[in-house]
Amino acid sequence: MSDLDDLPPAPDAAGTSLDGDKVFTITAEENAALCRSTGVEPAADGSAHPIYYYIATQVAMGKTVAGVCEACEFDVEDGPMMGSSGVRLDAPLRVGESYKVTGEILSLVRKRSRKLGVMDVLTYRLRLHLLDGMQVLETDNVWVLPRKEFAA
Amino acid sequence: MSHAIGDALPPFTIESVSPEAMKQWAVFLADPNPIHLDVEVVKAKGLGDRVINQGPVNVAYMMNMLMRAFPGGRIKTMDSRFLDNVYGGDRAVVTGRITMIEGNIVTCEFSLDVDGRGTVNSGTATVEI
Repeated sequence: MSDLDDLPPAPDAAGTSLDGDKVFTITAEENAALCRSTGVEPAADGSAHPIYYYIATQVAMGKTVAGVCEACEFDVEDGPMMGSSGVRLDAPLRVGESYKVTGEILSLVRKRSRKLGVMDVLTYRLRLHLLDGMQVLETDNVWVLPRKEFAA
Repeated sequence: MSHAIGDALPPFTIESVSPEAMKQWAVFLADPNPIHLDVEVVKAKGLGDRVINQGPVNVAYMMNMLMRAFPGGRIKTMDSRFLDNVYGGDRAVVTGRITMIEGNIVTCEFSLDVDGRGTVNSGTATVEI
């Protein structure tokens, strides 16, 4: 018997599309401000800060952060937490380049932790593409959604 | 420049994590979560008494350490784990070391530590040099 048997299952969110219809363009002005906000100068070779892997995919995916939470039947006001983030970059991100996003929720798994109590672990995958369709990166993010309604 | 397994990478330090930068990142990320912007919200949620840095900013610090360690190199893969919060005013230091070298691909492990609370982020990456 699992220690989760007394709880309802996590919502069936796997497969939810996160394909976006926005175009995200990395501007020189924003890249410079972003680099300086993290303590470095922008690159002189036209490459953008690689953290745009996270920014571009989050901003141009098909749902807002609140919308992703809603797909998991979770109120964003309850405080989603980042668990991990992974990226595989096939090409450098470039200042002045425009991108689109495809992606989907991979899984939503209910767990019980000593520190957080009952939580749902959300894993979603996003891909960043040039406008001609060429993929430049794939990222998997894991968020922890604490389920306060199941607190003992 | 030659590299060897076990080499420590030069640390990257943020002397004081900036609440003003968090306001910029709320725009970059199109995510106006008030825990990054309003200390009263942080207090009300019982999360501390300083604003909380956005997680991707911490990843950017770790990327900065890698890019400074390998000038002209390119991060090909990176995995980051979020273990605890970074707060406004924290002194944050990224350290790392080389764990593998295969041709022109260097694998590294790294961590982001803040004064007084230890490691708050950690991860691994491969860099093409």
